[in-house]
Amino acid sequence: MNRQVLGQEKQAEGEESNVSSLSALAMLRLLLQETQRADGGWSARPDGPSDTESTALSLLALSLANGGGPEGSATRAREWLRILQRSDGSWPHSDQVPLSHWMTSLAVLALRRSEEDRGRVESGARWLLQQEGRGHSWLTRLMFRFFPERKPVELDWDLTGWPWLPDTFSWVEPTSYALIALKSLRPELSSRRSRARIDEAERMIFDRTCEEGGWNYGNSLVLGEHLWPYPDTTALGLIALQDVPRNELIERSLAALRRMLDENDSVLVQALGVLAFQLFDEDVSDRRTALAQRVATAPPPVQTRAIAFAALALDEAARPLEVPREA
Amino acid sequence: MRLDRRDFLKVSAAAAAAVSVPGCRRDEDRPRWSAEAIRKPESSRVAILPAASYEDDLRSIVTSGLRLFPLDVSGKRVVLKPNLVEFDPQGVINTNPVLIGAAVEALRGLGAREVVVAEGPGHRRDNEYLHRASGLEDVLRETGAPYVDLNSDSLRRVELLSEYTGLDALYLPETVLDADLLISMPKLKTHHWAGVTLSMKNMFGVVPGTVYGWPKNLLHWVGINSSILDINAALEVPRFNLVDGIVGMEGNGPIQGEAKHVGVLVLGADPVAVDATCARLMSIDPARVSYIGEAGIFLGNVELERIRQVGEDLETYLQDFRVLESFESLKLAPRSSAG
Repeated sequence: MNRQVLGQEKQAEGEESNVSSLSALAMLRLLLQETQRADGGWSARPDGPSDTESTALSLLALSLANGGGPEGSATRAREWLRILQRSDGSWPHSDQVPLSHWMTSLAVLALRRSEEDRGRVESGARWLLQQEGRGHSWLTRLMFRFFPERKPVELDWDLTGWPWLPDTFSWVEPTSYALIALKSLRPELSSRRSRARIDEAERMIFDRTCEEGGWNYGNSLVLGEHLWPYPDTTALGLIALQDVPRNELIERSLAALRRMLDENDSVLVQALGVLAFQLFDEDVSDRRTALAQRVATAPPPVQTRAIAFAALALDEAARPLEVPREA
Repeated sequence: MRLDRRDFLKVSAAAAAAVSVPGCRRDEDRPRWSAEAIRKPESSRVAILPAASYEDDLRSIVTSGLRLFPLDVSGKRVVLKPNLVEFDPQGVINTNPVLIGAAVEALRGLGAREVVVAEGPGHRRDNEYLHRASGLEDVLRETGAPYVDLNSDSLRRVELLSEYTGLDALYLPETVLDADLLISMPKLKTHHWAGVTLSMKNMFGVVPGTVYGWPKNLLHWVGINSSILDINAALEVPRFNLVDGIVGMEGNGPIQGEAKHVGVLVLGADPVAVDATCARLMSIDPARVSYIGEAGIFLGNVELERIRQVGEDLETYLQDFRVLESFESLKLAPRSSAG
């Protein structure tokens, strides 16, 4: 099924908008299969080289389909990820950029259900647990203690999550992915160390909450000015906090996400909205229908991760980013 | 430059702010660059052209501006790198898409084989939203210009030619590296960490977010001023610069500042000379802007006597841009273009 067929389906029904989530989902999966590269991976955009983020998210989306798609699409994607894993357990951005990378979280997430990849997933998780966002030196922190007016941003410098690249600052998006990946490995991964890292990262995310709720990339107040939240970062933050007892910051962030989704109908954020709200037990059927319409009536998203997140969001039978609760 | 106590305190505050950006650290070593990085010309031509509003015939203005330079775009693949960071319906954050469209048409009119719009937005990963909200989507559709997301382009490792950040190399997008001509199209803005953001700072957008994170985190970590210098020194591709100074941003730029009408386009091949001229238009002393002053040693010209000004007089369009208190020491004396 392709976009043209979907359009014909709509026309035959003679209705303004009645594309089912199922048919939109089938179209997105087909689109993913068609855009899979010969090496088994996916690129961020149609004509680029394969990268870990696009491949992991596409694999995650296709893994939910029976058999992982025709002709072993998922199998080839797993193989691409296996080859790319580094000896330290991490995954790089791509074979073009051999740097240990935040995308490790996504590779772990994509491979976690594959028994054959258990060892790879565990070594990826171990690498993640070794990574900590870095803050200021003790000297700078001391200066801020005595001269708090010189602090350009308001945040708790003692809380660390995960950085984009090793040995840099913690940000909300890589921390959220790491949290989702590590939590998804419960109960196998339930050491004191992993619990402590998860707990601290959750507190870091709460600490970075914007005044109106939700999250910017990682700061909420810079030079006395409040930053506004972004819908994609907010949805990812909420997904990462799905198993935390609901509190005022989560409620505020859910409200912020609702507001932002009213103003932004991009496939990416509408999909992330569905994935986040369903984990907080909100009825997402209307959002899912709207997303299906959006997918069917607009040009296909250029960004592979938008296609993959949309496919994950339109699968009514699954909660693909749900994590096991801690025992 | 002599500093009184008040100036000294301001400079100290600016230094403290620079060191305390999350992920930033102070530049400690004396900067160095290799011979390949030296491209400071004897003199640099910079044009200031009047453009009162985005309703003007910007295509004609850009065309006439480009003709002031020995710039042959015939048969070339030109990459336009606007400043498209974020969207705020009340703000003036981005290079106005109308100007981008005008530049596309002007370059085609001058014989460019292909004109590509390319950016790696520093804040938003959601291009679909950013393009629609900013109005770029309409311009791309109307002009048929292809767009490349530099955050996720094919990459090549590029050895750095200077040593400000301490990094050996950066992975940079092939769309930029393979351009016959790269045109930086920044917005005339103040910047709360760097003082001003113009042609050189706009090159942050070529650094791929999928590798280095958002908001281009590694560059903040190794130092904004250092990164601006290393990136600009590393880009050996032929360059030109076209600054959207029709409406700029003052105060807490580059995102949360206020609109400031200036009514000009500023053009030139030397990014340092263009940025120095823009800074002067904002009543800011370019030599006191850390990275511009340093770039003036090896990358281009800062000194007035080495900049051949064409088009309108700078004095005519001089504006007193408000800056954060920590950057007050950068300001020129009121109603003066000295510096």
